[in-house]
Amino acid sequence: MTLTNLDARIKLLMLVAVSSVALLVQRPLTLAAVLFLTLILLLLGGVDHFKVWRQTRAMISIIAGIFLIQCVFCRDGLPLITIGNMTLITTGGFQMAIIVALRLLIIVSSALIVLTGDLRDYLLALRWCRLPYEIVYMTLAALRFIPLLRDEATSINSAMQMRGYDFKSVKWKQRIKQYMAMMLPVTASALHRAVQMSIAMETRAFRCMPNRSQWRSLKFAHRDIIYVLIFFALLIAILLLLK
Amino acid sequence: MIEINNITYTYANNHLPAIAEFCAVFNKGEIAAVTGKNGCGKTTLSKLITGILRPSSGCILIDGENITGMSLFNIGQRIGYIWQNPNRQLFCPTVAEEIGFGLRNKGLTEANIMVETYRYLEMFRLSAKKEAHPLLLSLGEKQRLALAAVLSLGAPYLLLDEPTVGLDVRCRRLLGTELRKLAEQQNCGVIVISHEQDFVRRFCAREVVM
Repeated sequence: MTLTNLDARIKLLMLVAVSSVALLVQRPLTLAAVLFLTLILLLLGGVDHFKVWRQTRAMISIIAGIFLIQCVFCRDGLPLITIGNMTLITTGGFQMAIIVALRLLIIVSSALIVLTGDLRDYLLALRWCRLPYEIVYMTLAALRFIPLLRDEATSINSAMQMRGYDFKSVKWKQRIKQYMAMMLPVTASALHRAVQMSIAMETRAFRCMPNRSQWRSLKFAHRDIIYVLIFFALLIAILLLLK
Repeated sequence: MIEINNITYTYANNHLPAIAEFCAVFNKGEIAAVTGKNGCGKTTLSKLITGILRPSSGCILIDGENITGMSLFNIGQRIGYIWQNPNRQLFCPTVAEEIGFGLRNKGLTEANIMVETYRYLEMFRLSAKKEAHPLLLSLGEKQRLALAAVLSLGAPYLLLDEPTVGLDVRCRRLLGTELRKLAEQQNCGVIVISHEQDFVRRFCAREVVM
């Protein structure tokens, strides 16, 4: 069964469970097992391998940076690497770096579970959790704005280049200045769009009533229950065996 | 001459191509219109000609040079592009600076930049707004500013995507006359993507229907 067909509520539950375990557990081995479980879930769940790599690629350098910072600045434990009299990395620092890196990898990979579904299903799932529909819609609108803003920034970047601005030939200071100049129209456009959208929604009676009916509905299937039971059985087994 | 040879383009996550095996030729010194129904791929074609999108197959030649692999900066030297939405090409803090942006990139002296900027401010009736922020202008003014900013670059070809949207009759006539002058006097090749049949009939020598 692919993750795409799984009920949105189950996916949110899995995301919350895995992220909570990542934050609460301190043992590197347990965290590595949870990461392994999440990756297996993604790979067996029909998620495009290339997509997983594309989504996590950008995060890998950030995680590597955090790993190094933790290694160098956390001074607990015994010296692990020393140069002359100076201790570069300690055992405690190295262990903490591994824990933080594993936590981040778990959170990033578990977030990919959510990418396998339709945004509207998550909206219904959040409504099912009794969240006010205004907040749910606001979240959905914010998520839908991200690709639009990216398009807008790309267009402005293209317009600059087509009017003779060569990003490659200018110094980095000038480049940063130009990127900052780009931020203003993108932000202005986002605000303008948000105002227009809120007016359009309110003119169509949004927030007119305390409750709102839904066109689509979510229904638990037997396979969803089986899936979630197996997942939690494996997660609890990892926590008990590697505690 | 801009030659479009058998180009096909399919957007990601789409099975059907937005443009399929399309061929056309646009000459220097003429104003050609590209028309067609909504969603037939006119804006996609404009983005392919300007190198913003790369064709899935086929090629585009500008004066015999294949633009595949050319940077936007290099394509921009050959063809000026006006977007359908003017907000997407206005990023400077004032109207005057917006016109001066391209001129400055071309390496003109400050004195020449001033002269050219004022010429285009006058031409497009924007002198009174020269210190205003471009994003605070009305749609018609933004459209005029985008036109002024691109026309000032003097590229040998110009591509305008729906340039008449938001323009009043006087500005539309002014735009048409200015484009005709560019084509006739400076041998500039102008491609206008438009739905407005009146403008097309009056100012364009040829119509390419998609």
